[in-house]
Amino acid sequence: MQQVWKDVSLLWPELALTIGLLLVVLVDSSGAKARDGMSRLLTVASLAAAFVFCIQLQAQAPSSLVFSGMLVVDPLAIAFRAILAAASLLVALIFTFKNSRELHGLGQGEFYALLLALTLSNMLLASSNDMVMLYLSLEMVSITSYVMVAYMKGDRMSNEASLKYVLFGAVATGSMVYGLSLLYGLSGATAIPKVQEFLASGVTDQNRLAIYAISLLIFAGFGFKVAAVPFHFWCPDVYQGAPTPVTALLSVAPKAAGFAIMLRFFYRGFAVAGTGPWDLAGAIDWPSVLMVISALTMTVGNIAALTQTNMKRLLAYSSIAHAGYLMMGVVALSLNGARALIVYLVTYLAMNLGAFLVVTLIHGQEGTFDLRDYAGMSRRAPLLTLAMAIFLLSLVGIPPFVGFMGKLYVFAAVIEKGPTYVWYAVVGALNAAIGAYYYFRVLKTMVIDPEEGQKPVLAIAPVDLAWVGAFALANFVPIFFWGAIEGWARASLVLWAGR
Amino acid sequence: MITLQHYLVVSAALFSLGILGVLTRRNAVNVLMSIELILNSANVNLVAFSRFGPGGLQGQLFAVFVIVIAAAEVAVGLAIVLTLYRLRRSPNLDEADILKG
Repeated sequence: MQQVWKDVSLLWPELALTIGLLLVVLVDSSGAKARDGMSRLLTVASLAAAFVFCIQLQAQAPSSLVFSGMLVVDPLAIAFRAILAAASLLVALIFTFKNSRELHGLGQGEFYALLLALTLSNMLLASSNDMVMLYLSLEMVSITSYVMVAYMKGDRMSNEASLKYVLFGAVATGSMVYGLSLLYGLSGATAIPKVQEFLASGVTDQNRLAIYAISLLIFAGFGFKVAAVPFHFWCPDVYQGAPTPVTALLSVAPKAAGFAIMLRFFYRGFAVAGTGPWDLAGAIDWPSVLMVISALTMTVGNIAALTQTNMKRLLAYSSIAHAGYLMMGVVALSLNGARALIVYLVTYLAMNLGAFLVVTLIHGQEGTFDLRDYAGMSRRAPLLTLAMAIFLLSLVGIPPFVGFMGKLYVFAAVIEKGPTYVWYAVVGALNAAIGAYYYFRVLKTMVIDPEEGQKPVLAIAPVDLAWVGAFALANFVPIFFWGAIEGWARASLVLWAGR
Repeated sequence: MITLQHYLVVSAALFSLGILGVLTRRNAVNVLMSIELILNSANVNLVAFSRFGPGGLQGQLFAVFVIVIAAAEVAVGLAIVLTLYRLRRSPNLDEADILKG
């Protein structure tokens, strides 16, 4: 009993979300007049509580297993949980419901319940320590996001996107669970650290081939979650078809959780911890496989984004490219790589949610996602254009903005691995240059391109402008307090390493 | 005597049939059925390893969870197929083509 209480005390963020979720479902089915406002309030409150609990937990820096080794609570997991709670909180606060023209007239309570369920499962995924828990939480993330993507019931695009998402996701996670079943058969345990014990105890040549095949099968699941090539095909369609608040959330949260579990799975399962760079357990050289996948991911994402005219689709390909950069942090196989991943995710949260907020606000006024309709925005919405410029420059990775810091950390983590990794960093740098082209194209359309006729100036509510401004500030002000962020990221670099 | 190898061969065959079905079927419901084959191939593996391998009961436990998840996934999948069918009167996947580029 005491053990259960101890475990529960480490899971306050998840508990807050569960309680919030149940209350939202109750309130929504009560039929009360004020139920929409109440479910919004409950959602925001429980997400804020989860975020605060994460920050509190981080100060205690616990490092232990929870619920017989199903979950692990260590500073790294807590850092990811804080990022996930923050992402959902921002989406719940700013994107829904008033600002989204697409969600108008649809039930609010269910949406918030799904949002809370998605956050809860993301957090569980980020702290999974067992294949069973990993698979369960990964599927919970997937299933809730399928429903959220199809939220616009009468809209063909939304449903088609969701169908593609379901079919693609089911095959990817199906392959993953097949791989997990084989890995269980080989290692005789479902706990991820036990896999490492098995690999470290010596692997025969026959088994080595099998383990390569298994890790590729398992990677299908992770690759699907983070939208890595060749598991990215769903991404543009889903991002375009889903309601924009959902797109904004999907572009950050499941990606963060996917990278958290990828990091944990490969570091705790397939590598042997060291003080500097880590060793490969059983001489399974997964970083070079992931390196190729990551290089392909950023190249395919960036090149496909060049010709897009739909803003949501363009940002979808941009998010594929960013998944490639993020994967550099996993490939580096060192704690600096993990730090780079955390820093990149925090900066990505600020820049990508900001860009999606501008897209949402323009859609709210104009009802369009077409880039051509953005012509003349610098006259019609000068402040939005200025903010969008900041977000796009941050996404490119131009120095005064935080996007640069994220890229700096991942490139540094890769280059310090030695000369064999230099080509990889060069591919990354070339990709940043390709990426600059389409981000600047959006900017050029907004500022330079002539508009057809004199359309009226956009009337954006002051509170929304304030949010946009806050996001814009978040894209360069942290540079001045970088020591604090660096310290936070460094303090998060503790992976639970017991047995 | 049925050994572990027999089970593994069956599960590999199921997995391959599932992937083949996903790649070749036009009807969304058939694709969902093929996905069930993939998940069940994993279940056969898990239970066989649990019986013959060093893993103990964990594999059977895992298989129970996989069954639950499979049911949830198909429930959501069929609901979406149904809404899409209402909107365009066809269960065929190659006609779901308004999103591309």
